[in-house]
Amino acid sequence: MLQQVLQATASGVVTGCVYALIALSLVIVYKSTDVINFAGGEVVMIGGYLGILGLLYLGLPYAAIFLFSAALTFLLGALFDRVVLNKVLGRAVPGQSILVAMVIATVGLSYVMKGSVRLFPYTEEVRRLPPLFTGEPIFIGQVVLQLQDFAIVGIAVLVMLALWAFFSLTIMGKALRATSQNPRAAALVGIPVRRMRMTMWGLASAVSAVAGILLAPKLLMTPDMGVIVILAFAAAIIGGFNSLPGCIVGGILLGVIQNFAGLFFTSSAISVAPFLVIMLILTLRPQGLFGGRVVAKKV
Amino acid sequence: MLTKHIRHAFIGAAALAVLAGPARAADPGITDTEILIGLFAPMSGPLAAFGFDPLQAAKMWYEEANKKGGIHGRKIKVLIEDDKCNPVEVVSVVKKFITVDKTFIVHGGSCTAPAVAAQEFVTREKVPFVMLNAAGDGAVIPATRYVFGAFGGTQRTVGATIMEFAIKELKGKKIAFIAHDDDFGNSNSTTARAVAQKLGAEVVALERISPRITDVTAPMLKVRAANPDVIISTAYPAPAVLITQKYAEYGMTKTPIIVAVQGIPIPAVFAKNVGNDAALANLYYGSPLNDLTDGPKQQRWIQLYKQYYPDRTPGAFMTYGLPSAMAVTMALEKVGKDLTREKFVDALETLDFDSGVVAGPIAFAKDRRDAHRASVFIKFDGKTHKLMPGTYLWNGKDGM
Repeated sequence: MLQQVLQATASGVVTGCVYALIALSLVIVYKSTDVINFAGGEVVMIGGYLGILGLLYLGLPYAAIFLFSAALTFLLGALFDRVVLNKVLGRAVPGQSILVAMVIATVGLSYVMKGSVRLFPYTEEVRRLPPLFTGEPIFIGQVVLQLQDFAIVGIAVLVMLALWAFFSLTIMGKALRATSQNPRAAALVGIPVRRMRMTMWGLASAVSAVAGILLAPKLLMTPDMGVIVILAFAAAIIGGFNSLPGCIVGGILLGVIQNFAGLFFTSSAISVAPFLVIMLILTLRPQGLFGGRVVAKKV
Repeated sequence: MLTKHIRHAFIGAAALAVLAGPARAADPGITDTEILIGLFAPMSGPLAAFGFDPLQAAKMWYEEANKKGGIHGRKIKVLIEDDKCNPVEVVSVVKKFITVDKTFIVHGGSCTAPAVAAQEFVTREKVPFVMLNAAGDGAVIPATRYVFGAFGGTQRTVGATIMEFAIKELKGKKIAFIAHDDDFGNSNSTTARAVAQKLGAEVVALERISPRITDVTAPMLKVRAANPDVIISTAYPAPAVLITQKYAEYGMTKTPIIVAVQGIPIPAVFAKNVGNDAALANLYYGSPLNDLTDGPKQQRWIQLYKQYYPDRTPGAFMTYGLPSAMAVTMALEKVGKDLTREKFVDALETLDFDSGVVAGPIAFAKDRRDAHRASVFIKFDGKTHKLMPGTYLWNGKDGM
C-alpha cells in the first residue's frame, strides 16, 4: 500500500505542476485586472497545437518550441487586451462595474479559439506532441516515473522561479506589481498602466502556452482540452486567487488529492474531488490557503 | 313521403361513410415516383469524423438503388442536414424533416445522446427513425416501435463480446475492466460482468473513470494490484491512450490488454499516440466489421466509395454507414408498391441479413431494435493487424 501511496503522490505532483502553471496564468490576470479568465484553458490548447506545429511541421528544436509558442500566445493575449478589453473598458459607465462584460469577453475568446482550431481538419483526431525526453522509466525505490515527468516538474519549477525573479527583481516586474496593486497610484507615478495590463495578459498567455506544451505529450491534444482550466481554477481557489505561491501549492495539492481520491475511494471520485475541495475551501477559508483577507467587490 | 325517402337515403349514405372510414391520405414523403428520406449526421464540428463518410456511404447506397431503377418504380431522394452530434440540433433537424420537408422516414445519427434525444419526437409523430451508425443503447433498448439502430452494435454488445473474447480466447479467469462513469460505460460494464459471471470468470477490478480524466495513475495502480489475467478498456480514444501508456509504465505488458472499438478508431493514430512499442506487444482491439478496415471484404465498399467520391479518401468509419441504408432499401423492397410508414416498420422488424460489411447478421424482431450483436478481435502490434479467429455474439439477454 505504501508503494501505491508514494506512486500516487509522485504522479500527483507531476500533474499538479501543470495545474499550477495554468493556475499561475489565471492568477496573474486576476491580480492585474480583477478578471477571471475563462479562456485560460483554450490558450493552453493553442499553446499545445503551436508546439506541434513548431516541432513537427516547422522543424524547430524542442527548446525553441517553448519560445515559439510562448511568443505567439504572448501576442495573442496582448492583442486581446488591446483590441477587445480596452474597448470594453472604454465603454465603462462611472459608478458601474465593467467586470462582468470583461469576463464575458474572455468566454467569447474561448469559443473563438476553440472554433478556429476546429477549422483545421488536423484537429479532428486526437494528437500527441512527442515527449521532450524518451527512454526507459526511472525507478526511485518502487516508484516509477518517466523522464518526461521530470521534465514537466523541472520546467514548471524553472518557469515559477523565472516569474518570481521577474516580479521581484526587475523594474518592469515591479511596475507590473504596482499596476496590479493600485492602478491609479501607478499611473500617478508615471507607469503606463494600459501597456502594463497588456503585458500581463501577454505574460499570462505565454505561461499557459508553456503549460500546453508540457501537457500535450501527457494528456493528448483535442480542441476540447481547454476544460482543464476548471482544475486550474480549483488549484487557484485552494491556494488563494490572489497568491502566486498559493496557486502553485494549490495545483500540486490538487494533483495529489485527485490521485488519493481515486486510490482510497473509487476512480469515479477523481473527477469529483476538485469540486468537493472547491466547496470545502470556499466554505471554510474563502480566501484560500495562502490568500489575503477577503474583499467583497460589487460586480 | 318523398322527404322520408330522402332522409333515409341521407342516413344510409352517412352510415356507409362511417363504415367506410375517413378517406385515407398517403403518408408524407411518398409519391408514385419518389421516396423522400431525411438523412443527417455530424458533418462538421469535433465529431464529424464519425458521421461524414458514413452519411456519404448511405447516400451512395441510395444512388446505387436508383441506378437499378429505384424501388418498385420509386427513386429515393435524400435531404441532408448536419446535426453536429448535438442533441439540441438533432431534435431541430428531425422536426424540420418531419414537419417542414415531410420526409417519409428519417435516417441518421452517429452519436448516442442525440439519437436518444430524437426518440420522443419520432415516436409521437409515428415516423420511422433508422439510425445511421450510432450505438444508441438508450434509444433501442428497450425496444420502441419506430426507432431502429445500433448497426455497429450497442455498448451492451461491446461489453459482452469483449468479455467473452477475454475469457474464451485469452483464457482469462481474473479480468480487470476499465469503463467510463457515464451511461456508455454503464451499458458495457453491466453486460461484461454478466458474461463474466456466466462463464465463470471474476472481475477483479472494475474502474469507472471520467471521459476527461487527466491522470490514470490511481485506477491503473488498482488494476495492477488486482493482478488480472486480462485487462479490458472500453474508454474513449484519449483515456485509452493514457491507460495503455500507464499499463506499459507499470510493467504489465505480459498481461493482454483489449481496447474496445471506441478507444481505437484509427489504430495507426492510436499507436503513434501511445508512442511505446512495448505497450502494444500484447494488445488486441475489438471491431464490429467483418474484416480489417482495409481487408478484402471491406475493399469492395472502399472501391465503390472511391468511384462515387474520387476526391475523398474514406475515413475509418465509412462502411459503418452502409448497413442502415441497406436495411432501409430492403424494407422498402419488402413492403412493395403499397407503401406506408406502418408497413415499412413491419417490414423492418422482419429483416435478418448479412450486410457484407459487419461481422454477423443485421436483424430485428418485434421486441428487438438493436440491429447488430457481433464483434471480431484483432491483434495489433503497432504495425501489423492479425484477425483473431471467431466472431463473438451477444445473446441479447446477458446484462439485461
